Amino acid sequence: MAMKQTPHLLPIGLLLFQVVFCQATVSSAAPPQAVVPQQHRAVLQEHCFDCHDSQSKEGGVDLQSLSLKIDTVETAERWQKVLAVLNSGEMPPEDEPQITPKQKTLFLDDLSAQIVVARDVLTDSAGVITMRRLNRREYENTVFDLVGVRVDAKDLPSDANSQGFDTAGGSLFFSSDQFEQYLTLANQALEAAFVVGKKPKQRTVRRESESLINPRFMRLRTKLKKDFDRAGQWRATNGQQSPAEFGFIDEGDVQFHERLHRQQYASYVRYLEKPESKTGVLLNKMFNGAIVDTITIPNNWPDGEYILRARVAGLEGSQPKQRFLEYGIAGDGARSGELKVIGCNQVTGTISDPQILEIPLTVKEERGFGLRQRQPNSRAATRTAFLQAQVKTGVGPPAALWIDWIEVTGPVLEVWPPPSTSKIFFKGMWWHQPDEDTYAREIIQRFAERAFRIKPPSQSFVDKLFKLYAESRRDGEKFPTAIRQPLAVIMASPGFLYQIEPASMLLTEGIDEQNQQTLELDALQPKELQSKSTQTQPKQSTGQLVKQSSERLAEQSRELNDLELAVRLAYFLWSSPPDQTLYAAAKRGDLKRPSLLSQQVNRMLDDPRADELIARFAHQWLAMERLDFFQFDAKQYPEFDESVKQAARQEVYATIRSMLNENRPLGDLLNPNYVVINDLMADYYGIEGVQGGEFRKVAIPEGSPRGGLLAMAAILAMGSDGTRSSPVERGAWVMRKILDNPPPPAPANVPQLSRLIGKLLSPREIQQAHMEEPQCAQCHRKIDPIGFGMQNFDAAGKWREKVMLQQTAGKRVIKKKLVRIDPQGQLPDGSPFENFVQLREQIALKDNQFARGFTEALIEYALGRPYGFSDEGLRERMISRAGKQDGSIRDYIMALVQSKKFRTKK
Amino acid sequence: MTHPSQEASNRGRRSFLRSGSAVVALPLLESLGFRKHAAAAKPEVAPKRLVFLGMGFGVTRDTWFPDIKQTGSSYKLSEGLQPLADHKQDLTVIQKLSNQFSTEAHWGSTFWLTGANRYAEPGQSFYNSVSADQIAAETLGRDTRFTSIQLGHKGPDKSGHGPGLSLAWNRQGKPIAALNTPVAAFHRLFSDDGTPLAERQAALQKKRSVLDTVLENARSVGRGLTQTDTDKLDEYFQSIREIEIRLAKEEDWLDVPKVRPKESPKAPDEGLEGFEEVKVMYDLILAAMQVDASRVFTYRQPLDTFITSLGATITAHNMSHYRDGARKEVSKLRDKKQSELLARFIQKLKATPDVGGTTLFDNCTVTLGSNINSIHYLTNCPTVVTGGGSGIQHGRQLVMQDAKTPLCNLWLSLLNASGVKTESHGDSTGQIDELFG
Repeated sequence: MAMKQTPHLLPIGLLLFQVVFCQATVSSAAPPQAVVPQQHRAVLQEHCFDCHDSQSKEGGVDLQSLSLKIDTVETAERWQKVLAVLNSGEMPPEDEPQITPKQKTLFLDDLSAQIVVARDVLTDSAGVITMRRLNRREYENTVFDLVGVRVDAKDLPSDANSQGFDTAGGSLFFSSDQFEQYLTLANQALEAAFVVGKKPKQRTVRRESESLINPRFMRLRTKLKKDFDRAGQWRATNGQQSPAEFGFIDEGDVQFHERLHRQQYASYVRYLEKPESKTGVLLNKMFNGAIVDTITIPNNWPDGEYILRARVAGLEGSQPKQRFLEYGIAGDGARSGELKVIGCNQVTGTISDPQILEIPLTVKEERGFGLRQRQPNSRAATRTAFLQAQVKTGVGPPAALWIDWIEVTGPVLEVWPPPSTSKIFFKGMWWHQPDEDTYAREIIQRFAERAFRIKPPSQSFVDKLFKLYAESRRDGEKFPTAIRQPLAVIMASPGFLYQIEPASMLLTEGIDEQNQQTLELDALQPKELQSKSTQTQPKQSTGQLVKQSSERLAEQSRELNDLELAVRLAYFLWSSPPDQTLYAAAKRGDLKRPSLLSQQVNRMLDDPRADELIARFAHQWLAMERLDFFQFDAKQYPEFDESVKQAARQEVYATIRSMLNENRPLGDLLNPNYVVINDLMADYYGIEGVQGGEFRKVAIPEGSPRGGLLAMAAILAMGSDGTRSSPVERGAWVMRKILDNPPPPAPANVPQLSRLIGKLLSPREIQQAHMEEPQCAQCHRKIDPIGFGMQNFDAAGKWREKVMLQQTAGKRVIKKKLVRIDPQGQLPDGSPFENFVQLREQIALKDNQFARGFTEALIEYALGRPYGFSDEGLRERMISRAGKQDGSIRDYIMALVQSKKFRTKK
Repeated sequence: MTHPSQEASNRGRRSFLRSGSAVVALPLLESLGFRKHAAAAKPEVAPKRLVFLGMGFGVTRDTWFPDIKQTGSSYKLSEGLQPLADHKQDLTVIQKLSNQFSTEAHWGSTFWLTGANRYAEPGQSFYNSVSADQIAAETLGRDTRFTSIQLGHKGPDKSGHGPGLSLAWNRQGKPIAALNTPVAAFHRLFSDDGTPLAERQAALQKKRSVLDTVLENARSVGRGLTQTDTDKLDEYFQSIREIEIRLAKEEDWLDVPKVRPKESPKAPDEGLEGFEEVKVMYDLILAAMQVDASRVFTYRQPLDTFITSLGATITAHNMSHYRDGARKEVSKLRDKKQSELLARFIQKLKATPDVGGTTLFDNCTVTLGSNINSIHYLTNCPTVVTGGGSGIQHGRQLVMQDAKTPLCNLWLSLLNASGVKTESHGDSTGQIDELFG
């Protein structure tokens, strides 16, 4: 292609021209065709036509006339049925000659692949972008931008759709309860946003940590001792007297109190003897759970931003990996060690030189906060650790951390009234205004315009909104209550909830509403169509005509205007509306000029709001929801606690953020010589010399298997079920996400491998069994070897050399065997590898495939519609354009934003 | 407060809807067949009721299904259905029903009541059609406060239900939202906010003004949209239309307080999960039937938390891929507990009197099942039908002659037998006459 010769220094404007030019040629290419390879017709001939040819058509099935080309829904349906009966083993019938396994594997492989192609072609929406409703997170961000308050939209219906991203307009439905939910949420947000009165004073609440724990432990110590002594007194009577005389129910009750004493007494005694417990709290594990040091913010203090400070130290002799302090929301479960973890900090202070940690908190509803030494969020796991240590020392494991005191200060307010109030009451409080009603109208007008992303609302809409306010006033409501309703209604209106991009600008600009319909019909509607539709659908004639005219409009696509482009850009990069700078740039026409558009994109990507793109795109692209699908078994994987899980997830995002900031090539996700980690992940990976909770680039030490997505704890943990690693999950994930070669959907009705039941088989042996059955082999021969190449990582992503096999009968383990892991295998194209490191090297060579998958996902996320065949040209241009630069994520984003498709409404 | 202009403004609203969108044309309220103050008088003939319980991932194949060779009344209950032994004479197990278009091995509910083909619409990667319960609701829901009730569970789908917000899909094939916690269901069904009638009338009027206002905006943004976008915006119009109908109904019911049954269920605890959650939801369905709050119920049941609450430490998906050993034990335990809950529900239905000396059990039809048979199998959907409302001759196992009998044939039969005259549903080919003797 001519573009290859394009020198680097060519002005972008010219480049863009060429891009557009190329696009015209590429998009005229025909979509791919799904064709079942001719060679398989012989199989049909030999095994099926006896009954299912055009004469016999047994069971109404005629395969002879079935076209090898799958180009209609009906043909696809018929082939789907062929696939189904082959997969289920229903056909050929048992007493007929069977297809050889090899033939069958190849046939199934081709057929399932071609059906996928056919489905893709048949469901291709030809690049049409369906109007997008704000998804839940966009809604939250947009409300925040509008009124300065964060609402929690988790009760709105889920936006998750079966295949694509949460930006896909076609899958963002609107169900009937939703409207009322929007109204409720808007009212909540507005109520929180209206802050009148005096600026609240900043206050501090402080707790000396020992003040709560010590009295409680003393009480427990005394009680355990007293009960134990009483039990001893009864024992001394040698059963002569009834336990009841000593205050027990029966002998069982005596034993119960003796047991409690045995289990717990010593640990309270020892705790209270420690000198550090006199001045603070030691974060021990106790029999009843870990110690959580808590502080409560008084209920009458307002919601908002607060600062939590704690004076803390690590204890001498404790393990460094224990010296991490988790903080979070402490509810009723805090007494038994439970904490809803928000974050985790490494503690570097010592008893002789404690440090003061400062943690920003957002306070909303929940008032209790707690600090805890890091550990699995599981009382059972804590107890196991306690009991294990007790066997050796008589008490639980020693604490690693000490807290002197905790305090919370706030609310932290930089300006008063807060921006949330001044965003709405833009001229100040209403009682300062000459006329409240006039001010109300101004507020409504201005709010609607901001809510509709600076599209002015129609006059009649504003009139109706004002009427809602006026009626409330008439009913005796105060100004802020009365004004809240129209504003809430604006936030439940389509102009706010949808990204509106009309088919033609002609119809939206400056046309008198009364004449609107006539104009539409006269200008765009052929007369014969009008009469035709009126005849067939007399009842809905008006609507039908509007529909017809829209259809005509849909045939053309048009360039977005500057404001629309700004909105699309902002929701792509920030999942938020544009800010003032972007609006201003749009109004000046900057976005039309590639260099100035680039400037905006760069500015926006550097803004923290782009973290939303990184995290939410990466989360969906890499299918990371699986990380939350199961609780990790805390006994088996005690180190993979809540904090590590969060940090592991963060590692993926932080790595992408670092690559974005430093313009590192996309391939860095495959086999880089660095990781982006914090202290916690460094500890988890056994990498030394990393201190502090912030993520940063660290060179990978010699001998460490880390580096790249394939070796990240989060990705590896997703390829497990919380208990065991799953080579199939991992292999399928690599095929989907890295090699851009997704296996077809798991087929229905495939018989289980029944002959394996009751055998103790290594995963490798199970895989070999998979290979015997054509229905399994068609996919698993590609998937499984990759997964086995990653078997050296356990379910929580830690390195191991051996794996324990277990055979169970019911719940009982009847056989166990430790086997060495055998990672060697080959990629679907035959590239061999001996071990994980070689597997990763081989995969890193497939960076083109990886770039393709990434680009397709990015197009899908940004345009809010499924990736289609007509996007192939765009994808290739993005890859080639990015390749001419650093090949960085920023380059891909830039290429996409500058593309014609991104700037077009279709 | 009276609003003489209300009628006029109703008409106005309807015409807005028409001009804004092609699909939405508000029928006159009278045509919806509202009976003024329907609940004031108790119905003289016991009403028919339909309940659909969708269980997500399939059952344990070899221990849930009764022996397929034993048909008719001489069949033996399987291990998984054993807890239903007391009610064996009052239920029917049906084998060999399936949805012919199903290919998604993890979607146990999406097409369960619709029988649709997800690829039916060229250019779209997902299509669905109306569910059987919503067809029923159009007729059975006329005289009750709630046209139909959809129940579901919290959180993302990890239970093998597939896309959807409940088991129910509307006439446009769009998902209908569910009440996802017992608390939410309880308040919707039984809580009155206690405000005086006049205030509630005023509030209703205010809601109408709000709808008027948003429609004004919808109409102006709807102008000049592409065809696809017009269809998308129709979802919004449709939603407003449904609220309109609900408001009209609410108005009709304004002076009728929400009633609770005498042994009223208490407001459920927040945070119920799994086994207890399902139990309470069944109780709420029962209570709603008792006071005739609705006659059509669907429940998309939690499975992932269900097995967790039974002590399992694996995911529902993992369970569904059982082989001999611990996972299969979980799957069998799930079957057993599921049957226990159904037995308890049947017991209560039988113990609750209805109109004219009948019981609730006599007048309802409850179906428990899934689109998924077991593991990844999608043929022979597990199906248990109970209740006397459809006149099914219970106490039998029915095995369909044709192994590909559409599940929709069952829905069609139940609809007609419950007084909802229907020609066909989904891919139905006819009714299942054997059901009735």
